[in-house]
Amino acid sequence: MSSLRIIRSAARKAATFSVARRGYADISEKLNLSLALPHKTIFNSQDVVQVNIPAESGDMGILSNHVPSIEPIKPGVVEVIESGGTQKFFVSSGFATVHPNNKLTINVVEGAPLESFSLDAVRSSLQEALKVASGNGSEAEKLEARVEADVYESLQYALGK
Amino acid sequence: MTAWRTVFTYNKYAQITARALRNSLKEEERIIAEKRGLTTVRYQKWENGAGGQQVVLNEVKQ
Repeated sequence: MSSLRIIRSAARKAATFSVARRGYADISEKLNLSLALPHKTIFNSQDVVQVNIPAESGDMGILSNHVPSIEPIKPGVVEVIESGGTQKFFVSSGFATVHPNNKLTINVVEGAPLESFSLDAVRSSLQEALKVASGNGSEAEKLEARVEADVYESLQYALGK
Repeated sequence: MTAWRTVFTYNKYAQITARALRNSLKEEERIIAEKRGLTTVRYQKWENGAGGQQVVLNEVKQ
């Protein structure tokens, strides 16, 4: 598994160094982003500069000319950086796919801008979930509560920053 | 992080994280969002080309 990651990061580095004049601050080439939920499309083939995604294998920043890859998304913040400003969305889980032609599609089950969340609701839900997770229910119930608690912790951190 | 793999499927995991997110929204948005998490299940058994009785497992009041 770690060798795959080394190969993958090497491939990523190879993609960025193959074009000699390209630098990380180069915004002349845009990334085409589509961010979709089952019930709503947040971005539809829009040109952005950079997208930060919370991948299961670690937080990643996707720029133009990224090597094609498919990344599972863990509950966390997707940050979209455009030339005009930055937007942050908290998403539940899904997949991010970088296509060969500078296109990034992120499909998640649920997501909302950070402003739509209530820190109080997160805190109280986290308390309840931790109680169940360390309680004496069945293994399945405790693991479910642990998954929920991870989401609330991640959300609490994102709202607190 | 992947201890749940042995207990439930990815689909279930995605539903759990989505539910946790919906629970954390502000009041008005949460009411609209919670409806998205509800599913009505209806099943029907087919035998010899004929459908049997449709059984509703989980009626969701809209």
